[in-house]
Amino acid sequence: MPQSLRSYGLMLKWQALSNKPLLPLEAAVQVMIAVGFVIGLSFLYPDISPTTAKFLTTGAPTLILLMTGLVLAPQIIAMARTEGTFEYIWSLPIPRMVYLAADATVWVLVSLPGVVIALAIGAIYHGFSLEVSPLVVPALLLVALTGVFIGYTIAYGAPKPQLAHLATQIIVFLIMLFSPVIYPIEQVPSWLATLHRGLPIQYMADLSRGTLTDLDVNIGLAFGVVSAWCVVAFIITSVLIHRRR
Amino acid sequence: MKRDVTMKVNESGVQDVVLEIDKLHKSYVRGILVNDNISLSLRQGEIFGLLGPNGAGKTTLVNQIIGLVKPDSGSIMLDSVDIVANPGYARQACSFQAQTQVPITGLTARQAIELVGRIRGGSARHVRERAWELIDQLEMEEWANKTADSFSGGMRRLVAFCMAVVVPGRIVILDEPTNDVDPLRRRLLWQKVRALTGMGSTVLLVTHNIIEAERAVDRLAIVNEGKVVGMGTPGSLKENGNNNMRFELILEPMVEAPVLPEFMQHTVVTGQRLVTRLTEGDMAPAIQWARGLKEMGIVEEFSIGPITLEDVYVKMVGHADAQEMMEGETNHAPIASQLRTYAKVAGS
Repeated sequence: MPQSLRSYGLMLKWQALSNKPLLPLEAAVQVMIAVGFVIGLSFLYPDISPTTAKFLTTGAPTLILLMTGLVLAPQIIAMARTEGTFEYIWSLPIPRMVYLAADATVWVLVSLPGVVIALAIGAIYHGFSLEVSPLVVPALLLVALTGVFIGYTIAYGAPKPQLAHLATQIIVFLIMLFSPVIYPIEQVPSWLATLHRGLPIQYMADLSRGTLTDLDVNIGLAFGVVSAWCVVAFIITSVLIHRRR
Repeated sequence: MKRDVTMKVNESGVQDVVLEIDKLHKSYVRGILVNDNISLSLRQGEIFGLLGPNGAGKTTLVNQIIGLVKPDSGSIMLDSVDIVANPGYARQACSFQAQTQVPITGLTARQAIELVGRIRGGSARHVRERAWELIDQLEMEEWANKTADSFSGGMRRLVAFCMAVVVPGRIVILDEPTNDVDPLRRRLLWQKVRALTGMGSTVLLVTHNIIEAERAVDRLAIVNEGKVVGMGTPGSLKENGNNNMRFELILEPMVEAPVLPEFMQHTVVTGQRLVTRLTEGDMAPAIQWARGLKEMGIVEEFSIGPITLEDVYVKMVGHADAQEMMEGETNHAPIASQLRTYAKVAGS
């Protein structure tokens, strides 16, 4: 175990140093996304209600975490696969899950400023106070990890890196426009609502809403569904990273 | 190059085998074998070369040794451990410089070398000292604390080399270590490779560079189309009965290859260049024949010397723009008829 922890620390340092040139840019993008969701989208509603404002504000952390996990992380991995640098890391004497843990840690940390800023700006701009539950930490951590693990299944599972790039572009489109994250599920067509009952996206948004506002959310169900997705994505990722060509 | 090799020798006087590959088969697309029945062994403390053209299956073989690719059949034993079943052991025991670039963007040369050294189990102090030693001996001080983003291809290769040898494994696998590296640092790098054997490591060197390999390796295998087509020491591969001399002719521009005398029955033709093997007894008639051609303005220059590993390689692997001319073949009849007389005189 100490050896794994040592390897984790070293890989975390490697990942952090590798991403250092991009980190300011990534953080700036996160802030822009946050402001865009919380303020920009509110312009769609001339007379925004407190509930809609809360939906917009508390949906932003989920969108930011999903953008990072489902889009940014797979794209970086796809780029490494294209450059051929990826197999070098796999040839090092570290457990692959340790590498993955270090990588996931970096992505979660990259997302944090955007999440905090989105919540702060949303609450101030729309004039409501957040009701922060202690469960917010495990809830947002679970959302972040689930997003990252699903992202890994795309990145490692795609037969060619270019396909991973394409898949992430489609996912952005579907999450932004066709998912009940910044609006209630009642506003989507029934067939789409049925589909979303099996997907984790609305439950991820529920985790954010249920731990940051007084909105009525089935938090237990949300934890259950998102946890199940997290475990399944983790298992698939584990199988994918241990396979040999 | 100095060869103060420290080799582990067993009681029977034979070096211990560290890596044993037996009847290895691998195909990515069904029916097309990338590795076809490959068997070879690496001995403790030697530098073993793996030579072959692009697409010969060298990198696939290496990827199977370090557990990135799984063989279809056959075995790979490292220190008597089955590493097909235990790829984690292979990654612990082998340190590796890939042919592709290493992910060091954002890191300085020193950080990259030290990080891999620590990951490979070295203590912070040992790794720091060893990294500086490598940086100093490969004359990389100027780049030690600069981030890799500004490095040339050659400097990135040198950093990748240092990452592979900072805490060397039982086997150090180097895939084209000198690509893009300047000539001066190449010489320094080869000294460091030889030094690895003195530290108890065995080196598996994958390369296209036959001239460098000939000077660096103790033994080698030549791989072509997935098969091992030759294996041994550079000296043993160059031996071919009495045919140990190399005879080379350069034809004048626009002159086509002449009819060849009997002693040149296995000649490789590459453009205006004809290369063949001779016995020492054939040297005198060959010189006489070549002088005649030179006087006729057909041959620009010719030379005779000991055979090289490159000749053996070309013979075994063939070459995209080389063809073997058999006795009597020609594609220029007038010159051929002119030369037959000389060939006859030279051959008699």
